[in-house]
Amino acid sequence: METPSPTPPQDNSAGPAAAEQRRGFLAQAISLVLGTVTLLVPAVVGIVSFLNPLRQHGQAGRFMRLTSLDVLPEDGTPRKFPVIADRTDAWNRFPNEPIGAVFLRRVKPDKVEALQVVCPHAGCSIQYEATDDGGKFFCPCHSASFDLSGKRLDETSPSPRDLDTLDVKVESDGEVLVKFQSFETGTAKKVVKA
Amino acid sequence: MKALFRWIEDRSGCSAVLRGCLESPVPGGARWSRVWPCAILFSFCVQAVTGFFLWTFYSPSAQTAWESVYFVQHEVVGGWLLRAVHHYSAQVLLVLIGVYLIQLIVTWRYRAPRELVFWVAVLMGLFTLGLMLTGDLLAWDQNSYAATQVRVSFLTLIPGIGGGLFKLAAGGPAFGHLTLTRFLALHIGLFSAIFAVLLVLHGLLLRRTDAAEAAAGGKAAPFWPQQALRNAVANLAVLVVVLLLALQHGMSGDHAGVALGAPADPDPSSFYAAARPEWAFLGLYEFSNLFPGELKIVPIFLVPGLLVCVVFLMPFIGRSPAGHWFNVGFTAVILIGIVALSFRSLAHDRANKEHQAALAEGHQQAERVRQLARAPSGIPATGALTLLRNDPKTQGPILFKTHCASCHDYLDAEGQGIAAEESSAPNLHAYGSRQWLSGLLDPKRITSPQYFGNTKFRKGDMAAFVRDSLNDLDDEEKTDLQKAIAALSAEARLRSQQEVDAKQSSQIAEGRDMLDDFFGCTGCHRFHDKGQLGSAPDLTGYASGEWLMGIIGNPAHKRFYGDENDRMPAYAEFPDEPAKNQLTEQQLGLLVDWLRGEWYDE
Repeated sequence: METPSPTPPQDNSAGPAAAEQRRGFLAQAISLVLGTVTLLVPAVVGIVSFLNPLRQHGQAGRFMRLTSLDVLPEDGTPRKFPVIADRTDAWNRFPNEPIGAVFLRRVKPDKVEALQVVCPHAGCSIQYEATDDGGKFFCPCHSASFDLSGKRLDETSPSPRDLDTLDVKVESDGEVLVKFQSFETGTAKKVVKA
Repeated sequence: MKALFRWIEDRSGCSAVLRGCLESPVPGGARWSRVWPCAILFSFCVQAVTGFFLWTFYSPSAQTAWESVYFVQHEVVGGWLLRAVHHYSAQVLLVLIGVYLIQLIVTWRYRAPRELVFWVAVLMGLFTLGLMLTGDLLAWDQNSYAATQVRVSFLTLIPGIGGGLFKLAAGGPAFGHLTLTRFLALHIGLFSAIFAVLLVLHGLLLRRTDAAEAAAGGKAAPFWPQQALRNAVANLAVLVVVLLLALQHGMSGDHAGVALGAPADPDPSSFYAAARPEWAFLGLYEFSNLFPGELKIVPIFLVPGLLVCVVFLMPFIGRSPAGHWFNVGFTAVILIGIVALSFRSLAHDRANKEHQAALAEGHQQAERVRQLARAPSGIPATGALTLLRNDPKTQGPILFKTHCASCHDYLDAEGQGIAAEESSAPNLHAYGSRQWLSGLLDPKRITSPQYFGNTKFRKGDMAAFVRDSLNDLDDEEKTDLQKAIAALSAEARLRSQQEVDAKQSSQIAEGRDMLDDFFGCTGCHRFHDKGQLGSAPDLTGYASGEWLMGIIGNPAHKRFYGDENDRMPAYAEFPDEPAKNQLTEQQLGLLVDWLRGEWYDE
């Protein structure tokens, strides 16, 4: 890159010297612009590609069959079900991979609640723990605990929000369908991962 | 030779530059306290050299990153040392920069005209942290994956642009191939280059300020040779420390050098529960745990950002002696705080049983994947994670805990294993073995909780038969029972009984007949071509892989319990509609292989 050299001070502002100065200024300006443009072009081309992930989106939530109603204990004990689906990673597609899991719990004979197993705090996988008063969910990473409906139990929980509930449909033939979605971790609001 | 040097010198002038460097004055004369910048340069050179050679092995993709690191660590001669030196000299580099910064602050050498020297040193520290964060992920093992994912997810705390920043860092909506390629490019390309530029800049600025200080008067001595000697000794000390750290776990074996955990699993429900940041971030980690979840942005971004701002402003704050003392006090408080929080975190984790259990499980998986990778079949193209996902020894306990342990125990004689949530069905440890069957056919034990005690079969025909017919046996009958047990157990073809089954083939043949005519099992059970199906489980191929897959798949099938089935659910009731089944055929196979002790062993 060219750096503008300081013009020596001149005593007389005679014609040829002034013209020389003007030409010098023009040369400086053009070389600066040219230098910037030629450097910017490859940089912009690169940055456009680099920003490509912004246009990529995660899996849109859709209803998936996880189990049938009669498998879920009637006493409301939660059961964990893996979610199997095709997973895309850049140029690869992996068919039938575990992409997450869901806790299902029968709250009424024909009503089921679903919770994401991913802890909203840091993304760990919560576990169910049977206790004397009916059981709770528990995160092994930072010891957040939740009741069976997903409400935080600790006074100051590491988790910024309650466990994420998912939409459930129970079909007439007893099939349990869950709209599987993932959410941002760490945020107080439940935001779907887009 | 001399002519060659002159030729080069005439065209490059490099010896003049070199002489300028060697003769540049060190104000106050050669001192040990002046060795830090050179030690930092040396550590970075170690990083660059070892990093280059690691790069020649590294393959950044989700299926090859861990695998290539495994190859360096366990297959390449001296690869473990290369990794260890790279890892530990990075830690030493960070410490050296820290010490240097503290020295600059305490000795008031950040004020005019040394502001730029100080700022560049702070930037070097920040980029070292950046190099550590990006380098950590590249191993793609459980801890580096999980800890990095937590860190990168912090970006989503930033209002508005957080989600976009996450995608830019991860290269997409989730971690994968592009996260590795990006982190690698940042690590070996951008951050390393910036660090190198900062180092050079720091050297030039330092020379300029030192020359000015020397010119202003006072004692001064040329860099060569007195200061150079001190620097060389300091570098040797750095190298010795790095080597001692690298060799702390011995010079051979699986644990030499830096640990490599089990490969990262992208399934969120298998998230590594013992994930922790590297030591340099432990203080910040513990600090962030002091805040409730809603306020995470404060400890993660606001407070650290503020601290860095104060550090950058130190040259202005420290213009007056009072300001200088504020800077020194501030530094001391931050340092003590970080150290105290780090130790608090360590103590916390040591006392945390869940954390220790998760750590132990991680070690176990790392150990197991090494065994599998060394098996003759090696690591498949789908990556080492496939080895663990298809390994009965790894998946069996997980499947058992999820699907079976609400009722069944899996406990050995010492009570070790998996305890049921509420034990209400037989203990399945060593199921189908002679020892297990001996218990089942023991009048005292069949109605114990280990067998039918907590099931409806407690009052069933089988329990009645054992109590009535197998009580008070004489010695000969006892021997016959042993033969019958051996015969039934041989149906399972258990690997653990392979040798004894082969050795006792004649007793087993006798026992087979006794099952039919002497003990009368075939009155209720079918056994090969004797007896009928429908009243009790088929004993043909009892506890074999196929039999177990059948009974777990559908215990109410007439080949097994039929209408007599107690509470055992059907896990694969619909052979024609696999999507409706609780367990896939692969999961069922893994569970059965694990129950039967069939997995790869070294």
